[in-house]
Amino acid sequence: MNTEKVVFGFFIVLAMTLNFGFFIGEYNNPLHHPVYELFAAIVVNLIATVLKFGDRTQIGAIHLSTSLVADLQLITAAIVWSAVTDMGEVPTSDLVSLGSVVSLSGGAFLANVTSVVVLIVETVMTRR
Amino acid sequence: MNSIIFLVLRRMRVPLILLILCYAIAMIGLTLMPGIDDQGHPWHLSISQAFYVISYTATTIGFGEIPHPFSTPQRLWMLFSIYLTVIAWFYAVGKIITLVQEPTLKRAITEQRFSRQIKHLKEPFFMLCGYGETGSNLLEALDRMDLRAVVIDINEARLNNLQISNFHYDIPTLCGDAGLPKVLETAGINSRYCKGVFALADDDHANLAVAVALSLLNPKLPLLCRAEQETMAENMAGMGATAVINPYRSFGELLGIAIRSIHHYNLEDWLTGVPGQNHLTIEPPPRGRWIVCGYGRFGKAVVANLRQEGIEATVIEADPTLTGCTDCIVGTGSEAGTLIEAGISDAVGIVAGTNDDHMNLGVAMTARKLNPNIFVVTRKNHHFNAPLFEHFRADLTMQTSRIISHECLGHLVWPLLTTFLALMKRKPSDWVEQLYRDAIHHIGQWSPETWEITIGQEHTPAISETLDLGQDVPLAALLRDPSDPEQGLRCIPLLHVRADRKRTDLRPDLMLEEGDCLLFCGRDSAQRQQMQALWNTNTLDYLLTGEIRPNGLLWRWFTQRSSN
Repeated sequence: MNTEKVVFGFFIVLAMTLNFGFFIGEYNNPLHHPVYELFAAIVVNLIATVLKFGDRTQIGAIHLSTSLVADLQLITAAIVWSAVTDMGEVPTSDLVSLGSVVSLSGGAFLANVTSVVVLIVETVMTRR
Repeated sequence: MNSIIFLVLRRMRVPLILLILCYAIAMIGLTLMPGIDDQGHPWHLSISQAFYVISYTATTIGFGEIPHPFSTPQRLWMLFSIYLTVIAWFYAVGKIITLVQEPTLKRAITEQRFSRQIKHLKEPFFMLCGYGETGSNLLEALDRMDLRAVVIDINEARLNNLQISNFHYDIPTLCGDAGLPKVLETAGINSRYCKGVFALADDDHANLAVAVALSLLNPKLPLLCRAEQETMAENMAGMGATAVINPYRSFGELLGIAIRSIHHYNLEDWLTGVPGQNHLTIEPPPRGRWIVCGYGRFGKAVVANLRQEGIEATVIEADPTLTGCTDCIVGTGSEAGTLIEAGISDAVGIVAGTNDDHMNLGVAMTARKLNPNIFVVTRKNHHFNAPLFEHFRADLTMQTSRIISHECLGHLVWPLLTTFLALMKRKPSDWVEQLYRDAIHHIGQWSPETWEITIGQEHTPAISETLDLGQDVPLAALLRDPSDPEQGLRCIPLLHVRADRKRTDLRPDLMLEEGDCLLFCGRDSAQRQQMQALWNTNTLDYLLTGEIRPNGLLWRWFTQRSSN
């Protein structure tokens, strides 16, 4: 067992699950989309991205690009959220904007799923 | 560029993850700490606000407590956050600085820059493998002639030396083993602009490695090798080297030429010197008994050439067993005793030819003290000792690196000059003397530029057009000053090649034909003025007929009408 692989797999799967946790729920109900979960998803996604740095293989490149897509979507979601809530001063009332935050995180979730699929394919292919 | 980014990203993984974690901890903590605003209402920082506060705190900017003054728990947490994030930042910045200074990264960056330079080099260039005395001498000459070069050397210090030298062009350098295929490929052996390779390292094995690599990677490329051992020279020739230069043998041959006919030596030295460099006319060396100090590879070549000229040579050698010298006087030659034993008083010449410059100067000085009339030939090994040799004023000073660079230039840069020099060697002494005196008188004591012209649409469109009209173009047209046809240009035609016929005694009424090759030597100003006649039909016309013809259609028509 390789510790590096464990850490790598852990962060990639955790990024996906946190992302899913934030995304799931009614799109117009703020109670279903806790902002701390979004924060955690961003942090874990960033760590997963950094872990993928420096791998020059084809699979490494796909890993990195999926992570970058997820980062881009999640950070955009966070910026939209900050703008709508006046940096968190007021509770979310604009349901249209909340919808865009949730749908952005949905896109990021898809990218994270791709990342996990690539991870599984890679593992199956090496058979070790 | 790619490899550098990946290298940096890979090394930055730990500091970046640390930074992300520290930010996350500081931000979460800050949002959890309870605060009270000025109206007494409890409040918490939102995540966005916490990110804002931590961002300016971690980067040590510090805008203060925003949006309300912090409560005690918030301040305590800020205290903790400051140390946490600032230390993480310092660690990351420190890591970046270490990374920048790391030799691997530095090498990756210089290699990257080098290959970019090669890619952008859209002019013919030569590749120099090995930048020692010879390399720098050759590079100087190439630079002076507006030819581009690329330098590979395994020793970084020498390349640094090159960087601070004053060259006209920016010279791309690569630190690496030229025997490695990858290094040669990076340096552009497969580029269509690469015109030739010089393997000039003072190590025969390194040069052989270049020859082998080149014979497999790009056998068509001309290659010039330096070899000090005969077996190595044969190997290199077998690998398809265009020419192999043995500095010792060349040196001995040159001395042989000097003794046989000093004019041959003088003319060759004048023609092949770096253009603009001062050339010294050498007086003829006397015939009689000579003394040769040092019987290494150099000494052996000298003695062989002296004996070939029928000249008796006495050898002085410090270590006869090592050099295989059977009949010699043992000693260094710098002490009077050995020289007297060798018969300095009735010798006519002495060759100080060891591989130690100071020893050579010592021998020469002692010899001149004992016999003031003796002809002194010194061997100069290192360029940096040149001032010492200039002060001593030997009758003849020979420098290995200069000889090699001359031969290199001759073989790859001026093929016609090499042909001319070969023809000249077979000419009688008085013919060469006449040419030499005329040339010095006409062009000057400084070494001239030499240039080649091929008559054809590509290089001499004006001549081609005139020939197409059925007019004759004599050689004389290329020897007159376009701004003042009474004046001759300060240049001399040396060689004319038509098909396989090579001619050296050129008369001004020689009629040029398409495809002729000509070799000239002269001042660079003469070359520029001659260029006008080669490119501009009107200038050529003026030189041929002596009248200024109208250019434009209208004027031409008008002149025709008025003359009818």
